[in-house]
Amino acid sequence: MATQTIAAPVAHIHPPPKGFIARYVISFDHKVIAVQYIITGGLFFVLAGLLAELMRAQLMQAHGHVLGPALYNEAYTVHGSAMVWLVIIPILTGGFGNLVMPLQIGARDVAFPWLNMFSFWLFPPAGILLFASFLMGAPQAGWTEYPPVSLHTPGTVLWCAAIFLIGVSATITGINFLVTVAKMRAPGMTWTRMPLFVWATVTTAFLSAIATANLSAVLAALFIEKVFHVPFYDPANGGSPVLWQHVFWFYSHPAVYIMVLPAFGIVSEILPTFARRPIFGYKAIAYSSVTIGLVSFMVWAHHMFTSGLARWVQLPFMILTMAVGIPTGVKIFSWVATLWRGRLRLTTPMLFTIGFLSQFTFGGITGIMLASVPADVHEHATYFVVAHLHYVLVGGSVFGIFAGLYYWWPKMTGRMLDERLGKWHFWLMFLAFNAAFLPMHWLGLLGMQRRVAYYSQQFGPDQLGWVQGTNWFVSIAAFVLGASMLLFAYNALRSASRGRPAGPNPWGARTLEWMVSSPPPYYNFAEIPIVLSGPYDYGKPLPYANVSQELATVPVA
Amino acid sequence: MAAISALLMWGVVIFPIDQFLPQATSASLEIDFIFKFMAFFSTPILVFVNGYILYFAWRYHTRKGDDITAVGSSIHDHRWLEFWWTAIPSALMVALGIISYLVMPKYYLASAASVATIEAIGHTFYYEFRYPGLKQSVLNDMHLPVGKQVTIDLTSSEPDIRNAVIHSFWAPEFRVKQDMIPGMIVPIHFTPREIGTYRIICTEFCGIGHSDMVGKVIIESQADFDRWFAAQQRLQAAAGIPMEVPLAKGNSAAGGRLFAERCTVCHGTGSFSQRKVGPGLGNLFHDPAHPTLVTGKPANAADVADILEHGASGDMGTMPNAQANRLTPKDIADLVAYLQSLH
Repeated sequence: MATQTIAAPVAHIHPPPKGFIARYVISFDHKVIAVQYIITGGLFFVLAGLLAELMRAQLMQAHGHVLGPALYNEAYTVHGSAMVWLVIIPILTGGFGNLVMPLQIGARDVAFPWLNMFSFWLFPPAGILLFASFLMGAPQAGWTEYPPVSLHTPGTVLWCAAIFLIGVSATITGINFLVTVAKMRAPGMTWTRMPLFVWATVTTAFLSAIATANLSAVLAALFIEKVFHVPFYDPANGGSPVLWQHVFWFYSHPAVYIMVLPAFGIVSEILPTFARRPIFGYKAIAYSSVTIGLVSFMVWAHHMFTSGLARWVQLPFMILTMAVGIPTGVKIFSWVATLWRGRLRLTTPMLFTIGFLSQFTFGGITGIMLASVPADVHEHATYFVVAHLHYVLVGGSVFGIFAGLYYWWPKMTGRMLDERLGKWHFWLMFLAFNAAFLPMHWLGLLGMQRRVAYYSQQFGPDQLGWVQGTNWFVSIAAFVLGASMLLFAYNALRSASRGRPAGPNPWGARTLEWMVSSPPPYYNFAEIPIVLSGPYDYGKPLPYANVSQELATVPVA
Repeated sequence: MAAISALLMWGVVIFPIDQFLPQATSASLEIDFIFKFMAFFSTPILVFVNGYILYFAWRYHTRKGDDITAVGSSIHDHRWLEFWWTAIPSALMVALGIISYLVMPKYYLASAASVATIEAIGHTFYYEFRYPGLKQSVLNDMHLPVGKQVTIDLTSSEPDIRNAVIHSFWAPEFRVKQDMIPGMIVPIHFTPREIGTYRIICTEFCGIGHSDMVGKVIIESQADFDRWFAAQQRLQAAAGIPMEVPLAKGNSAAGGRLFAERCTVCHGTGSFSQRKVGPGLGNLFHDPAHPTLVTGKPANAADVADILEHGASGDMGTMPNAQANRLTPKDIADLVAYLQSLH
């Protein structure tokens, strides 16, 4: 009844642009830009992943000769920089944020479509600059590029330029998304009726807009020091090497949440859809995202417990870091409780979500282990940290990205992915991931430091046998992990010709992106929907006016 | 109850870090207690979360022939459940925070019993150690007596300080790690408790040779340590040839350049109290408040040259000798001339 009585706001709709370039290259359409981000990020994922496989090949022997130290240093630096700035952040924010957020709030596009296009087109040049540095000496000092050593190793200038570009892109996207969510929600879409992915995206946008500017500042300073010898970080002329660490981590700790909050959002969408029940603790999950986002600005020095800070300074950072664990725990327990008394359908996106839950919990707990100052002093800069960060960023973010890809692939392309291939992909990736990264915790605690091409010096002959054996096992698991991606690539290509047509709502979900055709029409909604309540009440009529109730179908799969 | 005890037992058994890594300092016992505490309480959390995921996935998943239009429970939240899963982790965090806070000072603060201050300097790609009483440095292999608290002042330097990078001093068997940062002196304190040979590992990427930057620390009985120390002194005495410092030929301009290159990491050219590591040297020869040098001798050219040649120890630490600073007799004369030219 309400459908007939409430009038949609009148809006002027342009026709879609004509010509290939206007539609798919210099596109202002958030959905096309999202796919551009995902494809470009995917290509960099392949390149950065191959670098990781080369590193593992080098580490199969204690004194291996696959890469040698210089090339090995370049490989891990570019691997880390690319995975953080060219893969996870662009795919989660630029990709899924662009694809899903405007649809979920019932908007026709983001607030500033031209800026959105511009922001994307800063991204491929950044990636090309970073990878082109291999031609003239790639950066070697790790993705953190601590000075003074980064002032003496090659590649720093290109690295600064590449990351600066991607930083500007992230800042612009952050501002764009903030304005979009603040101003362009459909009528009736109050803050507490927003889907949880929107909550995650708006918190991420806030972090991107505020934090990334600090990164740009330190990068500019490093660039100026390297090229014009203005001593920001050089202690011989009154600079401070620790200054870089403070400002870099003042960005890079919030960046950890920029990389994981959108994955939280993806998981929060997938769980109710496949549990066929409301998300447990909607407000707790939404507000804990915001809490985590705010506290993430006050924990940066926990990366610097061995950098010579005064002891009393370490204390508040330890306490605040532990405090982040509490809202994170609330989220995890709420997600697990969403499974309770649901009608679970264990589809591929759901399996990746469950993998995420298990692995992120583990990564979160090792994070608390790193927060305790006396324990961190032992663990810092060892393979324990390498293992922890991969549990959070691969076990968390990358599993979240794959969950999102399997979930929204039908919406993006109009075709389903093959479920059986998807499940093989999940199980292979899940087992290989844990086999690759779990043993690293022990390697680190027992004396293997990070960023080494050789580990023959620090282990005596009695230990070297099992250390090399463990590394060999880790490398094999890493190769299987890489190979599992081929299943996804095959599945994606196969869906173009042989995938079943998806229809508007193949999973029977209730958020607004499923209320339009797949792929969505240009300008998304012919009539702007009117929102009557929250999105997760399975079993009730759809909470939207101007939307056909027939879209609340239950899927066949 | 039996299940809970089993879980707690597991929490302890899965973290036998001391079985694999000797506890070579007294603080390592306390650090390992923190590890065990964390493993003890995080094991049940992991078991509960993963156990419930598996149980729910098995118990509630849709089977063939189920009504696919059916929906799950419509419960949105549960106040008490949410209270407890916020309160229990919070209590654990508070406990971990308090334990960590209690261990921190034992780990970091020197007690009055600290017997010696040794300087450790990171170079690309080796460690240099300076002992009070030894005029020449010891490279890579550090000797310490068992049972005596030591303080180690860590920094990083190169002959040209502009080339210095950050290194780190990690002795896994000590559970001690501290970065060595150019321009900063950071002290660490510990008491060795087990005789043996242990590793010192650089954990901060420092360049192409980072993988091979591994030193040794040898913990030995006081008697063995004394024997080693005496042998070092004899070796150095045999090698030491007295310098002829051409004080009259000192060139203050050359000395100024040398000062900027070698000395400014520890000394400024301001007044005595403008201290970096050692005192400011601007008024070295004309300071009524400090008429004598650290050696107790009057501030004249010959005695300053003597410190530059032989080094000196005082309450600010150790001034390295000419060999460690790579100074020739001519360099010393230039530096003295430069210092005399100030003010």
